Amino acid sequence: MPEEVSRRDFLNRLGVTIGAAAASAGSLVVPTPAEAQQSFQAKGKVPTTPYKTGHMTFFTGPAAVLGEPSYKGHILAAEEINAQGGLLGKRKIETVKADEAAGTDANVKELRRMKLSEKIDCFTGVISSGNTPALGPVAEELKTLTLFTDGCTDFLFEKAVPNPHYVFRVTNIQSADGVMAAIAASMAWPKVTKIAHIHPDYSYGRNAFDHFNIAMKKLSGNIQVVSEAWPKLGTTEFTAHITKTISAKPDLLFTSVWGGDYIALYKQALRYDLFKKMKVATTLAFGVVPQAIGKDHPAGVVAGVHANYHFLYPAGNRWLPNAQFVKKYYDRWKEYPTFESEGAYTALHMLRVAVEKANQLVGGWPDDQAIIAMLEGLMYAAPAGYTYIRPDNHQGYKDALTGFLVNSPDYAFPVWDLKRVITVPIRSITAPPGYPKGEPTTTYKWIEETWPKSA
Amino acid sequence: MDTLLTQILNSLFYASILFLIACGLSLVYGVMRIVNMAHGSLYAVGAYVAAWAVGLVASYLHVSLLLVLLLIGAAAAALAGALLEPTLLRPLYQRPEEYQLLMTFGLLLILEDLMRMVWGPYPLTASALSEFFPSISVLGATYPGYNIFVIVVGGAAAVGLWAFIYRTRFGILLRATSQNMRMASALGVDVKRIYVQAFTIGCLMAGLGGAVVMPLSGAVLGMGVDALILAFVVVVIGGLGSLEGALVGALIVGAVRTLGIMYFAEIELAVLYLIAAVVLFLRPAGLFGRA
Repeated sequence: MPEEVSRRDFLNRLGVTIGAAAASAGSLVVPTPAEAQQSFQAKGKVPTTPYKTGHMTFFTGPAAVLGEPSYKGHILAAEEINAQGGLLGKRKIETVKADEAAGTDANVKELRRMKLSEKIDCFTGVISSGNTPALGPVAEELKTLTLFTDGCTDFLFEKAVPNPHYVFRVTNIQSADGVMAAIAASMAWPKVTKIAHIHPDYSYGRNAFDHFNIAMKKLSGNIQVVSEAWPKLGTTEFTAHITKTISAKPDLLFTSVWGGDYIALYKQALRYDLFKKMKVATTLAFGVVPQAIGKDHPAGVVAGVHANYHFLYPAGNRWLPNAQFVKKYYDRWKEYPTFESEGAYTALHMLRVAVEKANQLVGGWPDDQAIIAMLEGLMYAAPAGYTYIRPDNHQGYKDALTGFLVNSPDYAFPVWDLKRVITVPIRSITAPPGYPKGEPTTTYKWIEETWPKSA
Repeated sequence: MDTLLTQILNSLFYASILFLIACGLSLVYGVMRIVNMAHGSLYAVGAYVAAWAVGLVASYLHVSLLLVLLLIGAAAAALAGALLEPTLLRPLYQRPEEYQLLMTFGLLLILEDLMRMVWGPYPLTASALSEFFPSISVLGATYPGYNIFVIVVGGAAAVGLWAFIYRTRFGILLRATSQNMRMASALGVDVKRIYVQAFTIGCLMAGLGGAVVMPLSGAVLGMGVDALILAFVVVVIGGLGSLEGALVGALIVGAVRTLGIMYFAEIELAVLYLIAAVVLFLRPAGLFGRA
């Protein structure tokens, strides 16, 4: 008989915070982007040759709406570091870019080419969960220091690269998306039982479906999946999916459709009055550049950000790294950053900090082994909050978050209701180190086996 | 019952869009024996130009006037067609088909990049148009008025194209050229002119398709490639080069896809290709194709 607890106790146990002051630093001393750089003095003789990074992301096709912000975040960080003379004040960062839309096989070839003929020192970026598991093993084989900034499938470090040495990933794990949406939905609408799903038919959609359902079962008791739709990624015609969803009369629609697809989905759903007929929770409504979503989007929807980052949070001047980042990013690109921008920006700054720490230990330019040793276990005050690299699996950990959509007169597009932002420490919703691996993901198995059922 | 009716309307709606894309592809092949790989990109050009034009003047004009701007999207695609045929395709007619495929595929890549350069990486939307048509109530179900408009446009396009090809002098010349280009030429038909006109009409239909779908789905990078694949499925079923085939193919694909989504959600990805495979197996030239 599984343990039974009240939902409120359960959420408290998970460490769920709503709209409150996250990122309470305590006594931790962690470098922030601006401060750390000014006070840094490199030890020993550092060469002045450029430090070459290869940044791969989507520049063409429908996913460019995610890829462009990723590149802009990367370039902003590179420009900041170069303004200080480069890494260790000496090595300017040069970026070779590659279009991820070329396809998985071509991307693998491109990584080899960048390493072998462009002689990149570090590989960054990558958005698709279909690509990181193919690129990860190749990066290990090429001995290329790699900082993935998305492509967040659990599969990468569970199966594709189970013992990473050169490969890291700074953004949250995919399973967090479904779990966060379930937490938000069960908190906002505790009576919901009948669930409809619309997901893109590939690994990301399947992952969101599985983790939402298992978390929802634990949080809300007996839920019932009344409708499923699996459109192809890249679909912009959802009329039949919408009609099917409405005809099943669900209490809640959960969808992980993203990018241009999501824009088409919500605009068409509006015309069928779908938002009036059910609650809606998403994993990626706010994944694209903010201005891509119109103010015609109904308020109150769970507007996911891939459980990673929204530019309004942490809000105001409460968290300096974010206030600084948003301002710099806006000044540079005349738009607001997305979670992809933040991931790419943070990756490069974490690399900088690791290089600086390694330099203090060994002097001169540290080799990759020294940089890797410093990246493992690194805690960094990123715009999104503290980001920690777990040494055992090289996965970045930070508070997972989601929020509710609101239309504010301050912005030309919908934003988060700052009073209702939900944050959860990622360790509360991800399998702990060493937990026996399982299907479809270790986290799924861990939730199924260890979470109590709330009553 | 309400769901059934809504889904029938959805099928017709989807078939309308598919027909607008596929009829041009089929027409161009029927007359010129060219498989235009860039056809989907002209559909995207229609969507982007319409979204851009509407965005430019949306705040000055009444919504009903904005509808007219959708024609600008179609006109832009037609203009592109009128320029592309004489410059890029005409020199290749004497060459083997591979050259034409390579040329139009290259054109696809160039157009995709051009659209990104001109309109940037983010989707353009102009949903004021779809909001303008109120949703109507059909047997208790809500149905978007704009979708009905698209169905009407698709139907009108089918009738108009049919009348044009079977009831006008130009249509006779077009069909003559399609059946035997050398003989038509020998009889004094200006084949060059017929070619550029046929290609322009094909592009016009694609551009119109992109423009009318834009208020619902936005103009997004990559939409042209997606549309091209769907158009191929339609013409494989209907028969390449046949207008009736494009219409029947679009209706079949629209209906089967809706059925698939409704009852076999798991195989939505595969269902269209399955129909195409079955048709290819039973009638390799398609339902209305000439072998």
